[in-house]
Amino acid sequence: MSEENWIEVGSTDSIEEEDLIRFDHQDKTFCVYKLTDGFYATDGICTHEAVHLEDGLVMDDEIECPMHQGIFNIKSGEALSPPACEDLKTYPVKVDNDKIFIKIN
Amino acid sequence: MKNNIIILGGGQAGIYAAREIRQNDSKLNIKILSEENLLPYERPPLSKDFLLDKKKEEDLYFHSSDVLKNENIEFENISINKVDFENKKLFAKNDNVYSYDSLLISTGSENKKLTLDNNLKNDIYYLRNLEEAKKIKEIVSNKNKITIIGGGFIGLEIASSLSQLQKKVIVIEIGNQLMGRIIPKQIADLVQNTHIEHGNEIILNKQIEKITKKNGDYEILLNDNSLIETDFIIAGIGSTPTVKLFENTNLKLDNGIVTNQFCETSIKDVYAAGDVSNFYHPFYERNMRLESYQHAQNHGICAGKNIAGVKTEYTSIPWMWSDQFNLNLQLTGICNDYDEIIERGNDINNGVIYFFLKNKIIRGACGLGIAGKIGRDIRITSKLSEKNTIVDKQILSDQNLKLNKLIQK
Ligand SMILES: Cc1cc2nc3c(=O)[nH]c(=O)nc-3n(C[C@H](O)[C@H](O)[C@H](O)COP(=O)(O)OP(=O)(O)OC[C@H]3O[C@@H](n4cnc5c(N)ncnc54)[C@H](O)[C@@H]3O)c2cc1C
Ligand code: FES
Repeated sequence: MSEENWIEVGSTDSIEEEDLIRFDHQDKTFCVYKLTDGFYATDGICTHEAVHLEDGLVMDDEIECPMHQGIFNIKSGEALSPPACEDLKTYPVKVDNDKIFIKIN
Repeated sequence: MKNNIIILGGGQAGIYAAREIRQNDSKLNIKILSEENLLPYERPPLSKDFLLDKKKEEDLYFHSSDVLKNENIEFENISINKVDFENKKLFAKNDNVYSYDSLLISTGSENKKLTLDNNLKNDIYYLRNLEEAKKIKEIVSNKNKITIIGGGFIGLEIASSLSQLQKKVIVIEIGNQLMGRIIPKQIADLVQNTHIEHGNEIILNKQIEKITKKNGDYEILLNDNSLIETDFIIAGIGSTPTVKLFENTNLKLDNGIVTNQFCETSIKDVYAAGDVSNFYHPFYERNMRLESYQHAQNHGICAGKNIAGVKTEYTSIPWMWSDQFNLNLQLTGICNDYDEIIERGNDINNGVIYFFLKNKIIRGACGLGIAGKIGRDIRITSKLSEKNTIVDKQILSDQNLKLNKLIQK
């Protein structure tokens, strides 16, 4: 895929470890996470109801939805605990010169 | 040898127990007996997204019939009306008899009914199951002015949904605040304001004296002699554990079926889980009964483990939510045994949380915010309370200081 698909999110120090930030691009919204082994990105909105995961809790490799505690694996997007049952979309992430990029298409 | 496991009640606790037993044992015969002719489904959407048509019936099921088939879990639609614990048998209305080696009772809870003249019995609606939700949804489509008796969670959720369906809604509550005394008055007031802003009328401190039917509509007389005219009435005045079946047996009952921390009842090989059980919580060193989604799931799983022979204590910290309009309310831990309250935030856009502390230790919290605003902090509170943490009060009360740090390793 062409270079343009990589969108710059921000600098690597804009996210604390075991935490996330919200990233909006055009009409889409994402969560970008810093885990102990690197950066990851998923869709921003929970698959259960229309709630942003930015207020959720990151624990190890999991993000817990702030509304009803549905849990997703951040790396695979897999829905791990009800009421969430549909997987969350994930996106490739790369770091270049201390900047985080995600590939959206 | 234990071979036959029967799960009485095919709700949330029942299905989670069944699947947990199967995970631990591939050979046991597992049969769920359910009085509702539906696979186990989620109840929370019944008062919310199902009424609003945002969720359909097919979205509510926990699992498809294929999952049950693959895991060799039998599901039978039958209502049990007699138990013989001594001989380990259950009897159905149609004379079917079921024998078990281990029994899980997960019969849930049922709505309290208003005491009314007999001729009004069929006029007042209640919401507990999908059938009732469908009925209410169908009828309200032709009604305009709807009265909800009871300002608890379910009544208010229905009021929120009906308001979003452009209905005029009146809520009558006997107490002096919404949602009962366990909810901090400030949070109850914020919820009340939101209902009022959306056009709902909230009447507190009033009792119903009489309901009269008039040309297909109703007149409700309150104890201050005021009259409310309405064309449909729904009551949500609390619930009681479904234990009638066991009233004349040896099973120990006290606000539900009394169980220990292993989901065991007073009778050997009989377990109970979910809304119906008044369980011993080792962390709080007392019995409690909870009616919540997360508890039904976790308690079911714990019962499943114990039935399959994996001795497991139930130590889950209580947690529940209620969604009304765009507000999300959450409660965790114990909120009625404290010597200090700390407030975090004062604006629902950023979330408002009340922490309950005893001897400086966080015991519980109740929060309210737009969408998921308070979720993370409530979750962190559960974790802190589980570890008996003494926390700097400054961090709790200052919304600019993140709570995450408090639980990081
Ligand atoms: C309208 C509504 C909204 C809710 N919203 C929320 C919410 O927002 N958040 C939250 O945390 N919790 C909520 N809850 C609570 C949550 O849904 C319950 O706590 C949970 O369903 C309890 O699960 P259970 O398995 O114990 O019982 P249930 O799910 O009630 O299942 C019990 C089953 O047993 C069956 N049964 C009973 N007696 C017999 C018998 N003799 N023979 C055969 N079958 C029998 C019943 O018909 C029923 O199907 C809500 C509940 C309702 C009703
Ligand atoms: S909105 Fe995320 S679990 Fe419900």
